[in-house]
Amino acid sequence: MKRILCTLALCTVPFLSACKKSGEAAGGDDQLTIAFLPKSKGNQYFVTCEKGARAAATELGAELLFDGPTTSDPAKQNEIVENWISLGVDVIAAAAENKDGLSTALRKAQAEGIKVITYDADAQPDARTFFVNQATEKGIGDALLDNAAALVGKEGEFAIITANLTASNQNAWIAAIKARQAELYPNMKLVDIKPCDDLKDKAQQETTNLLSAHPNLKAVISVCSPGVPGAAEAVKQAGKTGVVKVVGLGLPSENKAYVKEGVTQAVILWKVEDLGYLTIQAAAALAKGELKPGATEFKAGKLGTMKIEGDNILLGTPFAFTKENIDQFDF
Amino acid sequence: MNGKYSREISVAAALGLLLVALALFAPNFYELQPLLSRTTSQMPALVAAIGITLVIITRQIDISIGAQFSLCGVVAGLVAAAGMPLGVAVLAAVGAGAFLGAFNGLLVAWLGLPSIVVTLATMVTWNELLRLWQQGRFMNLPAGFQWFGLSQAAGQGVVIGVAVALLLAAAWSMKNLAAGRRVYATGTDAEAARLAGIDPKWTTFGVFVLMGALAGIAATLNLVQSPQVQPNAGDGLELKVIAAAVVGGVAINGGRGNLWGVLLGLLLLANVNPALTHFKMEPYWERAIQGLVILLAVIADGMKRTKKAA
Repeated sequence: MKRILCTLALCTVPFLSACKKSGEAAGGDDQLTIAFLPKSKGNQYFVTCEKGARAAATELGAELLFDGPTTSDPAKQNEIVENWISLGVDVIAAAAENKDGLSTALRKAQAEGIKVITYDADAQPDARTFFVNQATEKGIGDALLDNAAALVGKEGEFAIITANLTASNQNAWIAAIKARQAELYPNMKLVDIKPCDDLKDKAQQETTNLLSAHPNLKAVISVCSPGVPGAAEAVKQAGKTGVVKVVGLGLPSENKAYVKEGVTQAVILWKVEDLGYLTIQAAAALAKGELKPGATEFKAGKLGTMKIEGDNILLGTPFAFTKENIDQFDF
Repeated sequence: MNGKYSREISVAAALGLLLVALALFAPNFYELQPLLSRTTSQMPALVAAIGITLVIITRQIDISIGAQFSLCGVVAGLVAAAGMPLGVAVLAAVGAGAFLGAFNGLLVAWLGLPSIVVTLATMVTWNELLRLWQQGRFMNLPAGFQWFGLSQAAGQGVVIGVAVALLLAAAWSMKNLAAGRRVYATGTDAEAARLAGIDPKWTTFGVFVLMGALAGIAATLNLVQSPQVQPNAGDGLELKVIAAAVVGGVAINGGRGNLWGVLLGLLLLANVNPALTHFKMEPYWERAIQGLVILLAVIADGMKRTKKAA
C-alpha cells in the first residue's frame, strides 16, 4: 500500500528522492510517512529547515514528503494538507502561514487518524498535539540583552530598533528585554525604541539619529531582521565601529559582512537546521506512540534530551552568530 | 497670506522654526557626520519627488513609484553583482524605470485610463512579482560598489551633487523650456493645450517615462549607500514624495507648483523624525505630526480655491 502511495505522491510532490530510497531500505507496511509543510519552499530559511528534516528522516528510516507553496499562500497550504490526507500519510509537521486557516485543514487530518505537529509558526492548540517552539519570547529577549550586556560590560545606554510599534512579536521581545534589564542589569538604560517599518534604510536613518541624539549610546539592539544591517551601516558611517555595539535578531547571511568587519558583534537566531531535525524526530516519535501528551522531556536523536513545556517542545536557547562561527552558516 | 510664493514662504518658515529649535535645544543635530548621512539618505526621495511633481502638475498621479524604485534597485543590483561596471548598472536601472514608466504612460495617455487605478495596479503587480522573484532576500553588492568606490565623504558628496544637479536642471527646464510649459499647460487644461498646438497625450506619456527614469536614478543613488539591496526598499516611498509635493504647494488638480516648494516640503517632513529623536519624544508623534502638516497644506489649498471662486 505504502508503495502505491509513494508512486502516487511522486506525481504530485516534487521532492521525493528520500521516498524511494527509504522505501527500499525499510520496506514493509510499518514504515513511517512524514509530511513536512513549510510556509513557502523557495525561502532559504525553510530550505535550511528541510536539510535538518532530511537528516532526521534518514536516521529514522522514514519517508519524508516535503511540499509547500512557492510563495506565502495560506490557501495553497490547505490544498497540500488535503492531498496528504487523501494520500494517508502517518504524520504531518506544519508551519502555519495563517493560524486559523490551516487549523481547519489540520483538524480534518486528525479526524482521519493522522498525527499532527506544528513547528516555527503554531496553529490552534486543538489542531495539533505538539508545537516545536524554536524560541520562547523570553528566550529571545534574554539572548539579545545578555549578548549586548556582555559586550558593554553591563553598563551604559542602549536603544532598540523594532519593526513597528504595534508588532506583537517584537513587543513581546521588547517586554522580555525590559524585564531582564530590570532584573539583572541595573546599570544599563534603555533610552529609546524606534520603528523601522521592516526597512533596512529606515533603520539606518533611525540609528543615525539615535547616535547623534544620544552621544553616550553604547549599544543598539535590533529586534527585527532588516534593522540589524541598517543599524550596522549607520554605526559604520558614524565612524563608531566597535564603540557602539550592534546586536540583533536576523539571518547570518544578511549580516556576514558587518560581523566580519566588526561592526555587528552578534546576530541571534536559532539553528534553523536543528529546528527541522527536531521537528521530524518529534513527529516520528508521536506517530509511533513514543511521545505522548503530558510528556516533560523527549530524546531527539543527536540533539539529546529536549525540554517540553506544556505542549511546546523547546529547541532551547537561541544561538549567537559571531565573527568566530558565522562562516559555517549559509542561510 | 497672499502672493505667488505664500506656500513656499510658510513651509520655509515652519522648517526654519524647526531648525532653530534644534539648534537651541539639540545642537548635536548639527554634527557634521550625522548631518551628512542624514542628508545623503534623503537624496533618493528628492530625485523621486522631482518626477512626482511633474506627474502631479500634469494632473496625474503615480503611486507605483515605490515599486518602480524597488524593481530598479534589484535590476541594478543584479547587473552589478554579475560583475558589470557601475555605469552599466545605472543604465540598467534607468532603462528599467523608463520602461515601467512607459507602461503606465501608455495606459494613461492613450487608453485614457485614470492614473490612480493604472498605477495602483502596476504598484501591486511589480511588488508581488518582486516578492515572487526575490523571496525577500537581501542581495549583496560587490565590494567597491558602495560610494562609487570612493571614500565615504566623497561618495556622499557625489550622491548629493547628482540630486542637486537634477533638481536645478529640472527647475530650470520647467521654467525656460517649451517642454516645461507644455507640462503646465496640459495640467491646467488639456483641451486648451491641444488647441494651442500641444499634444497632451505625448506630454503625459513623456512625464510618466521621465518619472520612471528618475525612479531608476533614485534607486541607484540609494544602492550606493550600503553594501546590500533590500528587494522592497521602495516600500512607502510614494506616500513620502506625494506628501512632500502636496506640502510644497503642488496643486493636486494640476497646473500649479514648483520644485522649490517641493524641496522645502520634503525637508520639512524628513526632519520631523530626527527632530523627535533629538527632542527625546515618543516616536508615535512622527506620523501624527507629518499628517497634521499635510492636512494644513490641503486646508490652505482648499481656502485658496474657495477664495478664488468667490
